[in-house]
Amino acid sequence: MTTPSPTADTGAELLPIATPARTRAALRTLIRPDRGLALTGLGILVAATAVGLLVQPLLGRIVDIVADGRPAGDLTLPVVLLVAVAVVQGLTTTLGLTRIARLGETVLARLRERFVERALNLPADRLERAGAGDLTARVTGDVARVAEAVRSALPEMARSVLAILLTLGALALLDVRFLLAALLAVPVQLLTARWYVRRALTLYADQRVANGAQQQQLLETIGGAVTVRGHRLEEQHTERSAGRSRKAVDLTMRSVNLVLGFYGRLHIAEYIGLAAVLIAGFWLVRDGAVSIGTATAAALYFHSLFGPVNAALVLLDDAQSAAAGLARLVGVTDLAEQPEPTAGKAAPVSVPQQRTVSSEAAVIVHEVSHAYGPGRPVLHEVSLTLKAGEHVALVGTSGAGKSTLARIVAGVQQPTTGTVTAPAGTGEAAVVLVTQEVHVFTGSLAEDLRLARPDASDADLRTALSTVHALDWAEALPDGLATVVGEGGHRLDPARAQQLALARLVLADPALAVLDEATAEAGSAGARVLERSAEAALAGRTALVVAHRLTQAVAADRVVVLEAGRVVESGPHEELRDADGPYAALWRAWSGSRATTAPHP
Amino acid sequence: MGADSAGRGVIRRAVAGQRRDVTVGSVLGACHQIGEALVPVLIGLIVDRAVVRPDGGALAVWLLVLAVVYTLLSFGFRFGARAGERAAEQAAHELRLDVVRRVLAPHGGAEAGRPPGALVNVATEDARRVGAVNMALTLGIAAVVGVVAGAVLLLRASLPLGLLVLIGAPVLMALGHFLARPLEHRSEAEQEQAAHASGVAADLVAGVRVLKGLRAERAAVDRYRATSQASRDANVRAARAAALQTGLMLTLTGSFIALVALVGGRLVLSGSIGLGALVSAVGLALFLPGPISVLAWVGAELAKGRASAARIADVLAAPGETTGGSAEPAAHAPGELRLNGLGHAGLDALDLTVRPGEHLGVVVTDPADAATLLHCLARRCDPERGSVELDGVPLTELAPAALRSVLLVAEHDAQLFDGTLLENVTAAAPAGSDPRAAMDAAAVDEVASALAGGTGGRIGERGSSLSGGQRQRVALARALAADRGVLVVHDPTTAVDAATEARIAAGIRRARTGRTTVLVTSSPALLAATDRVVLVDGGTITAEAPHEDLVRDHPAYRTAVLT
Repeated sequence: MTTPSPTADTGAELLPIATPARTRAALRTLIRPDRGLALTGLGILVAATAVGLLVQPLLGRIVDIVADGRPAGDLTLPVVLLVAVAVVQGLTTTLGLTRIARLGETVLARLRERFVERALNLPADRLERAGAGDLTARVTGDVARVAEAVRSALPEMARSVLAILLTLGALALLDVRFLLAALLAVPVQLLTARWYVRRALTLYADQRVANGAQQQQLLETIGGAVTVRGHRLEEQHTERSAGRSRKAVDLTMRSVNLVLGFYGRLHIAEYIGLAAVLIAGFWLVRDGAVSIGTATAAALYFHSLFGPVNAALVLLDDAQSAAAGLARLVGVTDLAEQPEPTAGKAAPVSVPQQRTVSSEAAVIVHEVSHAYGPGRPVLHEVSLTLKAGEHVALVGTSGAGKSTLARIVAGVQQPTTGTVTAPAGTGEAAVVLVTQEVHVFTGSLAEDLRLARPDASDADLRTALSTVHALDWAEALPDGLATVVGEGGHRLDPARAQQLALARLVLADPALAVLDEATAEAGSAGARVLERSAEAALAGRTALVVAHRLTQAVAADRVVVLEAGRVVESGPHEELRDADGPYAALWRAWSGSRATTAPHP
Repeated sequence: MGADSAGRGVIRRAVAGQRRDVTVGSVLGACHQIGEALVPVLIGLIVDRAVVRPDGGALAVWLLVLAVVYTLLSFGFRFGARAGERAAEQAAHELRLDVVRRVLAPHGGAEAGRPPGALVNVATEDARRVGAVNMALTLGIAAVVGVVAGAVLLLRASLPLGLLVLIGAPVLMALGHFLARPLEHRSEAEQEQAAHASGVAADLVAGVRVLKGLRAERAAVDRYRATSQASRDANVRAARAAALQTGLMLTLTGSFIALVALVGGRLVLSGSIGLGALVSAVGLALFLPGPISVLAWVGAELAKGRASAARIADVLAAPGETTGGSAEPAAHAPGELRLNGLGHAGLDALDLTVRPGEHLGVVVTDPADAATLLHCLARRCDPERGSVELDGVPLTELAPAALRSVLLVAEHDAQLFDGTLLENVTAAAPAGSDPRAAMDAAAVDEVASALAGGTGGRIGERGSSLSGGQRQRVALARALAADRGVLVVHDPTTAVDAATEARIAAGIRRARTGRTTVLVTSSPALLAATDRVVLVDGGTITAEAPHEDLVRDHPAYRTAVLT
């Protein structure tokens, strides 16, 4: 690399994080469909809090009755009212919290679904640059954090803020001087909040990074457990996991200490306010401005503020952490919302075409160049035309750019310059790319296959499996097609997993299929089986096959040789084999290693 | 239920391991609660002594007492909570490592039935929830002390009022516990559902490249949406139960306060207690819901903790892939590998001896049989029939970890790890050994020259910044550098081009000179560099000779290897 890209030495280029303004806007959009629920929920909670504030004056009334030495019968009314308040408060709180929870869960589900949708629709190169760990951390950690906030912080915050506002109002109603005395605590609280938020921001950022690192380490260690055990790396990986976990714990303890220091300062504020309200009561009663009952109610009001004030201030914390998580989620949902910038210039799919209609050129690759960042060119003005139904094998040494070209033809990767015109075909999957990367999705075998065609009948699934010669083993699985496969389920060996991928291709039924060393993963023993499967899966389609084994090149209609990002040869196998070009050299290396005694196919 | 009691064991250990911090947290937390209980009492006293008959001197004295109480409660809270949080975090940390150790334990088996995402969830979220039991416990104990302190203060002011609170509060607590019960079950279901939703999301994200190739993004999103909606419904149900519980607790405590006020008011009117005692009693009745609701919260936390602990216990107690075997193989054993009538899954009566130092090629026509054979050699399973012996000792008698220290099975899908290229190559190598020979043999030098930073360049999580062929070469170099007495390699070059493959075949030969090496492959380049090849067809050995001879004489072998 002569000109390293700015991100080259930092490794992964993490996905973006939304700005606070953008996050708020996204939140509003998420809530909008359930505005009614939000308003009624909040309204009911306001009512519940307001009713609850009747408790202190009622208790003050009881104090006054007692202080005046009135008959015991006078106590009945305030006591009955207290019970009534309790019942109404209980009912309205239940109702309000349920509504808020329904709102929160609905919005949360909407958010995570949108996130997964956007994440899966990210452009491939963006995904490669970010690394799967970042996405996984967001989809597990950040979703969980936001969920936690929705489930516990949101209702509590709503109730606390309402309680504070309404209690201060009630204090003012008793006597505005009580309110003024209570407000003496506010400067200390504000200073404390500022002190806290300032320190918390960086600390929590560090903590999230440490948690992400821990998550990634655990995923790698647990996901690679077989390799770890086989290579006796248990100690190494336990140590690594312990180190990452220890760091996360240390940072958590640092933030705990911060929170506790925060509470310590709040206690001072509490004392100042309480003493002030008591002194105000002292003055006001002495001057005959208020009754003892009122002074008592005021002190009790202020005392009852401690809980909500502390809760609200400390929830700043959860709110902040949730906001950070939300920003990371919105960062992704926003990312894909932008239209793909190159969609207009280099549309991978632009000419609608029925695959049944026989056409001269099914795929036209026109002067396609590609570079993974400046100074890392991979393809140089590659032009290539595939006729409908033609099978073209792409060969070349490692690093020649075969996979990149395959991804570009498949429309998974946008070329830096140049255009690809491919069939739009029927349905969604006009072009399907199958690579050597196998992933068996967790769930039943049938569910896995239906990802390719959700409305496929059981018979369709069987036909597809049978086409790729996989029906026999699939039906022999413990529960047949209902067998749970994938991580944690029935493990399929790479060859079978790849057959599954080919069966998905058959189900998706694309006009153009691109196979990128789709038969390599199985090892050479399984490769032959897979080549047969692949051949069957490709029948009747236009196909571009990145061939690792040259047997695939022999079977193809035409061979295209790629060297250092350029097409250097193109023609049928026999023709190129007999010419004295790069393909002939490749063929000699390949067939030579197959023992000289073996007859040429 | 067995899982339940095992879960309790997990919680018990998590608490016992942190008993010092839990104790300190509880004691200091109790100080805090006593202080909190004293505050309303002091408010009552100040009203009684300084406000009813305004007395500035008394006001000053009592405000000073209030300051002292505040200092006590603030100190108790701060250091008590710190101890509780430390206990929670430390316990979670230890549980996390327990889960990691179990997953990595030589006899394996913890991954069966659990996707990595779900296991990571157990190691993080579940460990955190069980750790949080420590915090809940300290707060719970402190809350009980708070309730008792309130009652004692009341008893001192008035016996009947005190008794009322003493009897009423536990009744409230019992009701709270009773009401929390359905929540426990819901919490369990909710966590299962959430874990499932997060597992599905992580699985889809992990397979995103495959989905993109298939253009199945929309189908995947639709599937996730269904899971997410089910999770939403479960959570709404759980939240409704929690809201109902909160509302009921509010009604109960409110009614309780009314009762205390009624009884207290009558007592003042009858002259048996003073006004201050009534204010204190009312203040305490207002205070008591605090610790009582803490107890309800503690109940809910414990419920979550129990559900999580059961899952952790499940993982920790997962049956191993193999059992038994404790012998250590000889340190400098000759490395003779023998299969005696080995039969397992598709394999039947395999008899084979790999001589010490021999390079043997094994061609297995059915990939499933190849996987079975490798599993048997790595002791990831014990054979149903017959045995595998290393230097005359059946593998079933050897400790799996000790076995793997002398015999490495480098599986085809071996994973690379985040770190530099060099770190990956030397991960399993003896300390101080020179990795250059292994890197040269596996043609990793070409990988290094293409990587930013060379051998010191980071290869990303799971080697994601390398191509498939590059990853294979690095994994092979790691296996060679491990320098085990016996090395079994499975298809190490399937994504490597032919020229490089030929170079690697010679490299393996060179790097493993004189050491037992088994190549399970059908690559002619690799097989040509072995001493002898056996062909396993239909689960049994059907041919055995050098590669050239088999190619010449054995049509089935030609078919298996050359087409």
